[in-house]
Amino acid sequence: MTNTLHRRGTRDNLKNDYVIFCTPAKGVNSEGSASKIQEFIRICLKYNPLNMGDGQQGNILQDDINLESFIANQKDGEGAAAVFTDLDTLQKVIEDLIQADLRISINISGLLDEVQRCCHRVGLERHSVEHSLGIWGAKDLLPEREILEVNTLCGHGLVSFNLIRKMVEYVRIRRLTAQEAARIMAKCCECGAFNPVRAEQLLEKMVKKE
Amino acid sequence: MEIDKKKCVGCGNCYVICTMGAIYLDEDGKSVVNQDECVECSTCYRVLRNERYMPWFVRAVRKVLSTFRLGYLADVDVCPTGALTPPELTWPRSLRATFSDPTTIHPGTGIGGRGTEEIKSNDVTGRIRKGEAGVVVEMGRPGIGAYFRDIEKVTMTLAPLRPFFEPQNPVTQLMEDQKTGKMKEEILDEKVLSAIVEMKIPLERIPAILQAIEEVQKEIGTVISLGVSSRCRPDGTIPHEEWVSEAGYRLSPNGKTNIGLGRPLFHED
Repeated sequence: MTNTLHRRGTRDNLKNDYVIFCTPAKGVNSEGSASKIQEFIRICLKYNPLNMGDGQQGNILQDDINLESFIANQKDGEGAAAVFTDLDTLQKVIEDLIQADLRISINISGLLDEVQRCCHRVGLERHSVEHSLGIWGAKDLLPEREILEVNTLCGHGLVSFNLIRKMVEYVRIRRLTAQEAARIMAKCCECGAFNPVRAEQLLEKMVKKE
Repeated sequence: MEIDKKKCVGCGNCYVICTMGAIYLDEDGKSVVNQDECVECSTCYRVLRNERYMPWFVRAVRKVLSTFRLGYLADVDVCPTGALTPPELTWPRSLRATFSDPTTIHPGTGIGGRGTEEIKSNDVTGRIRKGEAGVVVEMGRPGIGAYFRDIEKVTMTLAPLRPFFEPQNPVTQLMEDQKTGKMKEEILDEKVLSAIVEMKIPLERIPAILQAIEEVQKEIGTVISLGVSSRCRPDGTIPHEEWVSEAGYRLSPNGKTNIGLGRPLFHED
């Protein structure tokens, strides 16, 4: 999956949006990986991620998720993701992961040069990099930029354009705060890659613009 | 997804939450799913909490409120009466769910989501090696969805350029013939939230592949999110950057970095 690759935004607002995730490789180190994923989750939780999840159980902002069982129910071969807003915290997470020597692949989505600087500070050189080349095809079917910026915070595209518009309306008429609206949208994103703080900022920006 | 009309009270929340805009309110004020457009992602079923109210109760409350000129507005993340009903899916419609619902696992690859690992495990799999580029053509994203007939247009355009279609990718596994890019006939009318055509090519073929996508994008009724990857040089520089720039395309400032902590590390001969 390429679920965090195509997050849209300006360089300025992407500065507060980093997703770190672990991915056991099928047929290589997937067997016996459950305990390592659990350790990855514990390390991330130590630094208070904005969101966290996996594709199977959902994310920690959903109503029916219990953190203890979220960790306990990890199975071999499934990955997990956590969202952070700043590089200093991300650096601490990486340092702990190096120390833990989990032996499973770790990826970070975010501004590539900033992530590279962060890697250098902890003595790592990046292994592989993937760029987005943006959106192609029938772009006339797409809504305005800000809606896309929120929609692409969930890489599987589970936060609908209509829900984003509705949340803008609800914040505008003060039926919900931007924080509450962002949290509702975050529930849709199963793997926990949705950044609710960035979504909140984008909602406020859209409400002001209207 | 199906909606039980006997239970639906027409609050419209499923219309709002639907990733494809496939749900609409019928003339009787109740929700209906356009089955052609529904991709079986089940987001409505998972996100809208079933409040388990009896439909007659909700309707009665509405009536009472309306006499006082008040309206009934359910919270946006609930289905007051639990009217959403996930159907039993059979082939080929079941493909919609395997591609669109991230909680399902692709039977062919054993991987969730859209079923691929691409560079995320490249440090241990060596999937993309020195001199190679990975290309991911994600059809339908963001927010539009894609029919396999459009996906086939892309795979048939790319196949003559002889890319190596990733065998552990569900789209590759649905091809009838990888040499022509032809997909299985029975799936062409199936729609998914998104699907990834994944391949690797020699770095110097990047311009040709991008040129082919540039052409075929005019013939499809959906959007494509495009990604390019490669294994970094020992000094951390990115081999595909120069080829993409030379071809005249702009790279995003953000992207995905595999930081190389996986073990055993893949070593190229």
